[in-house]
Amino acid sequence: MNSQNSVAEERELLCAVALNAMLPLANERTLQAAYYILRGRKANQTLQDVHLYNLYPYYRMFPGFSKEDWDKIVATLFQNDYLQPCEGEGPSPKPTFLVTANGRQFAEHAYEKYGFAVWFAPFTRFDLAARIESFWQRLHLLVQTVSQLLGKDLGFVPVVMDKSVQQWVKEQVGPARLREAWEAGLSEELFRLWEPLQPQVQELLVAQLSGVSQVGKTLGQLAKQKQSSKVYLTLLFRYGLAASILRLSEEKQAFPLLSRLVVQENKLDPRLSDSAARTYALVQRGIHKAEIAAQRQVKESTVEDHLVEIALHCPEWDDADYLSSETRAAIMAASEQLQTSRLRLIKDRVGPTVSYLQIRLALARRQEESNE
Amino acid sequence: MNNEWQQQLQQHFGYGEFRPGQESIIKRVLAGKSVLGLMATGGGKSVTYQLPALLLPGITVVVSPLISLMVDQVQQLRTKRKIPAAYLNSTQEAAEAREVLQKIASGQCKLLYISPEKLQQPYVQQALKRATVSLFAIDEAHCISAWGHDFRTDYLRLPDTVKQLGNPPVLAVTATATTAVRDEICSLFGIDRENVVVQTLNRANIAYDLAEVGGESERRQLTFDLIDRLAGPGIVYCSTRQAVEVLVAAYQLEGKRHVDGYHGGMNSMERMLIQTQFLAGELDVIIATNAFGMGIDKPDIRYVIHYQLPASLEAYSQEIGRIGRDGQPGYAMLLYSQDDIHLHQYMLDKEYPTPAQIQQFCQLYGAGAPPDPKALASIDMSEEMAAMLTFYTERALVKAQVSTTTEMANPVQDIWQETEKRKAVKQKKLAEMRSYVLTDRCLRKHLNQYFGESDLGFTRFCCSRCGLQRESYEGRQTALLQREVQNSWNLRQALDMLLPKK
Ligand SMILES: [Zn+2]
Repeated sequence: MNSQNSVAEERELLCAVALNAMLPLANERTLQAAYYILRGRKANQTLQDVHLYNLYPYYRMFPGFSKEDWDKIVATLFQNDYLQPCEGEGPSPKPTFLVTANGRQFAEHAYEKYGFAVWFAPFTRFDLAARIESFWQRLHLLVQTVSQLLGKDLGFVPVVMDKSVQQWVKEQVGPARLREAWEAGLSEELFRLWEPLQPQVQELLVAQLSGVSQVGKTLGQLAKQKQSSKVYLTLLFRYGLAASILRLSEEKQAFPLLSRLVVQENKLDPRLSDSAARTYALVQRGIHKAEIAAQRQVKESTVEDHLVEIALHCPEWDDADYLSSETRAAIMAASEQLQTSRLRLIKDRVGPTVSYLQIRLALARRQEESNE
Repeated sequence: MNNEWQQQLQQHFGYGEFRPGQESIIKRVLAGKSVLGLMATGGGKSVTYQLPALLLPGITVVVSPLISLMVDQVQQLRTKRKIPAAYLNSTQEAAEAREVLQKIASGQCKLLYISPEKLQQPYVQQALKRATVSLFAIDEAHCISAWGHDFRTDYLRLPDTVKQLGNPPVLAVTATATTAVRDEICSLFGIDRENVVVQTLNRANIAYDLAEVGGESERRQLTFDLIDRLAGPGIVYCSTRQAVEVLVAAYQLEGKRHVDGYHGGMNSMERMLIQTQFLAGELDVIIATNAFGMGIDKPDIRYVIHYQLPASLEAYSQEIGRIGRDGQPGYAMLLYSQDDIHLHQYMLDKEYPTPAQIQQFCQLYGAGAPPDPKALASIDMSEEMAAMLTFYTERALVKAQVSTTTEMANPVQDIWQETEKRKAVKQKKLAEMRSYVLTDRCLRKHLNQYFGESDLGFTRFCCSRCGLQRESYEGRQTALLQREVQNSWNLRQALDMLLPKK
């Protein structure tokens, strides 16, 4: 493939990713909803969408996306007749969109052609997107440091500037015994961890790392070298990291060193935004939302946003204090009859005694129950 | 040279002797004088405060506006030079800052790099008083001057801070300062004439070239041709991120050299990788915005091309100052067009407020604390402009408290006059930049005269006005290709390479 082709591939892939993410959102959400998901916005509406429509693989796939990038993609999708604008339903409709038969066909064809099913497979849990980045930063700096230690050259500039990551690596290689264990065992554990992956994914992971004998390449540089597109390599890269995290979490004994990278510190719950995590700590002590709002000096509506976030990410939380099982059933029934997740429509159906918070909590928990 | 100094210089910095100017600055500083040091970029500014820090009791404070540079320097001091150094800036977490403050108060720290705004916090000043500041160094000292191209309002508070800290001697260092800026720094910090030390600012090994271009395609063609021919490593400076991206993509399609881009919009790991590749000689050329180059320690950069006109001669000389720090010949090319000047003018007009904008800002401010981003968005004002207006508004309020009420009749007018003064300074900088590209006399003479330097010596060629042969800076060698062709992928081999057996 020459570079002209990889530019074409890049464009096709971006459209394919966007359209596949938009399929379930059609007629329900605005054109922007998928943009927020791909960018990885932390807002509750976005998190809820990811959860309700099972869009985990797409969440935070392109954190560097700008609005202009997105508008360009959407314009192409309209030009190719893959999308049609559409008026929303209900008393205060927001404009939404429909995917045409053409669009559906293109989306399915590209899904097949680029092997999305393979690359998306590990993304079955919500927290992976958030963990990928810190995992990669830790791994990158750790490998660089151990490589420099092995090469007996400590005058290097760390590739990761993030303070907390540097601190973590320092803790790993500081104590002499632990340092020796890393020096002796890192290469072997990485080999066992990555050996089952596709060779192209292995190469993608190793080539980006830095150490005493190599400076890591950027994804853009590797795309050029492989005459592939950066978007495609992004899919493979995220797959490689997610698969690594899952395996390390499941087989801690087999990877005594590398499993340290996936240990969750119990400072603030990493599944939540910092503010929601602070609220969760109080919720767990049995404090009611009004009191939490007062203690934390935030609006009660903010605490309610947190509760929804907690309902989404923390399956162990019991929301019975806020939502009785009868109310939950009524909300679910309304949502199903109306075939929608739009709060306003559901609220109109179930009546004034049910609050928006209750509807949001019920919807947040829906996916989980259908899995059981 | 004093024996102890020499020993420290050798032990911590690995140099046998001082570079020009360093010794006379250090001598004065150690004698307790306040000093202004004018050092060429790459002339070894930092040694002039790092070495005294080791020899003096107490702590040396280094004020620096550049956070990334601060972090780099402290990292180097700790690992390579074994000097107990630390930094404080607003990017740190509270716990980390507390730890640093404890170290300072208990005297475990010889050198503290600090950002000007952090220095204003009372608890920081208290910790410093306890540790006793023996030297107050100000990096990029030209930032204090309203005449400077980089004026920072935070810097204006520094003379007061020096008093707060018990008047330790001040060492102001800068690479770029015109006579007016020098005079202002001296009067603000009470520096005597005989304690102004000027290292020659003339860069004898750099040849200055200049070309006017008609349009974008001509500009690009000329640049690509230069990149293909000139001996590297080199840097191409563009004025926007977008220009960097477009140029990199276009060159990579057709060019011969290994080229990549660098700008503030890339994520930090990507930037670090590109920078490291350049330092390791894996890239011939970096195409970058002015975000690239601060604190880069690469002595063999052979050329810098300016794809567009920089905003001031100060910025220009700082950027080409990165050429040839090894003393070997180097080449600086500046491309410009009439459009460049118009573009700078447009940006300048956008940067400073109109009276109506000041009026709106003062109304928001009157409501209480400085306005939040939402309020700013409602009057369509950038955060940069708001920061500038906050400063001037606060100052106007302070002035109002000490003067009679009648004088405070129109703060908007007062503030507008202040910002217009600032704008006029930048306007003048732009005019000076313009006159540099339009001159028909020697470029070296023009540039050096601007900085008050009379030395005009040169090693290979002087400039395109005096006559230079571009071919003499050409070279065919390209960056090493890093195992680009690999026969077959082997995970075990790749890992053995990355993590060699002990
Ligand atoms: Zn000349």
